[in-house]
Amino acid sequence: MKRSVGQILGRTGIRIPLILWTIAVLYPIFWMFIGSFKSNAEIYKNPWGFPETWNFQNFVDAWTNYNIDTSVFNSLIVTVVGAVLTLVLAIPTAYAIERLNFRGSKFLFTLYVSAMMIPMVLGWIPLFFLLSDLGLLDNIFGLAIVYAVSQLPFSIFVLTSFISTIPKSLEESAAMDGMSPYRVLWKIITPLSMSGIITVTIMNAIQFWNEYFMALIFLQSEDNYTLALAIDFISNEAEYTNAWGTLFAGLVIAIVPVIVLYAIFQQRIAKGMTEGAIKG
Amino acid sequence: MVQSKKQKYLFLAFCLLPTFIMFAIFTLYPLFSGLYYSFFDWSGSAENKEFIGIDNYIHLFNDAIIADTIIHDYFLVVTKVIGIMILAMFFAVALTQLKIKEAPFYRIIFFFPNIMSVVVIGILWTFIYNPSMGFINSGLEFLGLESWAKPWLGDEKWALPSLVLPSIWAGIGLFMLMLMGGIANVSKSYYEAAEIDGANEWQQFWKVTLPLVWPQIKISVLYIVITTLNGSFIIVQIMTGGGPNNSTHVMGSYLYQQAFKQYNFGYGATIGVMILILSLITVLILQFFMRRDKVEY
Repeated sequence: MKRSVGQILGRTGIRIPLILWTIAVLYPIFWMFIGSFKSNAEIYKNPWGFPETWNFQNFVDAWTNYNIDTSVFNSLIVTVVGAVLTLVLAIPTAYAIERLNFRGSKFLFTLYVSAMMIPMVLGWIPLFFLLSDLGLLDNIFGLAIVYAVSQLPFSIFVLTSFISTIPKSLEESAAMDGMSPYRVLWKIITPLSMSGIITVTIMNAIQFWNEYFMALIFLQSEDNYTLALAIDFISNEAEYTNAWGTLFAGLVIAIVPVIVLYAIFQQRIAKGMTEGAIKG
Repeated sequence: MVQSKKQKYLFLAFCLLPTFIMFAIFTLYPLFSGLYYSFFDWSGSAENKEFIGIDNYIHLFNDAIIADTIIHDYFLVVTKVIGIMILAMFFAVALTQLKIKEAPFYRIIFFFPNIMSVVVIGILWTFIYNPSMGFINSGLEFLGLESWAKPWLGDEKWALPSLVLPSIWAGIGLFMLMLMGGIANVSKSYYEAAEIDGANEWQQFWKVTLPLVWPQIKISVLYIVITTLNGSFIIVQIMTGGGPNNSTHVMGSYLYQQAFKQYNFGYGATIGVMILILSLITVLILQFFMRRDKVEY
């Protein structure tokens, strides 16, 4: 009896740090949402409380006066084009490395995977001039290409492990029936590794939607800003304009799609990230 | 298989070549030419590119700010490793060993900051540290500790330590999950055996959990070190821009400033080479010290 009382107390005690950390994680996020509905004057007067009246003016301001509409559109394009391009490039290579016996397949795999550990910041200087030579500097499609290639190592790594779980007999019997290897890849391998493809795509999409630094270097004109850059711009201006409410509205617009994806694919995202980290 | 050799090679080339060409152009070539540019004095235009041998590297060793950026980077590495590993280990053990009903709830919440954009995290925390409106200073005031309140990110002494908390806040979830994965693989029978031998929960942690999840601990530490050395400049750029008075510059943010703000592209590339070399050396040293014979009972 004594022990169980002690255990109950212990279980309650252990919850205190867990609850405190929950608050530490959720409170700033909640507060950001609340702040986006407050007027600037109210944010000043009472930064951490609830708004007196909920108004959407901040969102309207962000959308119309701060070009958030353009940058949301740019971010969407970069995310979608980048994610699709990553798949187009990664699936055939992952399949070849995993299933086609060729000399150097181990080496190629190691080359791709070890790129996950290399600090890309060194490459950004030459990349800047390369994009400029190709006419892809300050161009959201150029950025999408850079994004796609930057996520190749992670995507190839995860996809090879998914493809390795597909039974070989399926490909073999399809080949027996006269199916060309291109059709095997498209009609058999791709659908059967759909789970891996979804995981990789969600991870890449979140990565591209959130990315900041490459966008900062490779994009220059405001018309091409992605959402991350637009928010950073509002944030730097807010020191003088005090447009805090607009800033919060921008942050909310940036985070809502991520929250939605996380709500739907929570387990996939957690699993994809831990697996990526274990090899990275 | 009714397939000629030629067709086989054609298919192999179809699978590998386009991807490899893109990878070579946008990853391999920039890395190697970064190495090459580090031997030039170059402001970005083609005419002004002058080969200067190792002058950039000599400059690197004599640049007082470089030494500071290295110290700042390793300060972040050490504080992040300690902070994240202790908290992540505590949460991982609590959520796996202690039969807490709502454990999945905590797991989902704690992981979320890992997928937030650094921009959102950085701006949110800049606000939390805001001298007049920020949560930290109003919290201190509420507790009657007004004298501790300060402009955190504007204070040369406190700006760098202030960057640690957001990084821990945003990082814990991933490492907690990695450690939880390790703990889940430890067979229950070890704990039962330990309990029969009279080991209390604390002893069980030191003698059973810790040695058996050592591989996960090692991977987590390496991962934190690599991502910090290769990416700490992002949050620095957003929250302080390297200031006040260079007190928060890390290697990557100094590279950005030198190359893209002051157009010393050759010198920027030299800093990039330094980051590459330092992170490789650090990983090798860590791997040497953390190697440990696989524990099996």
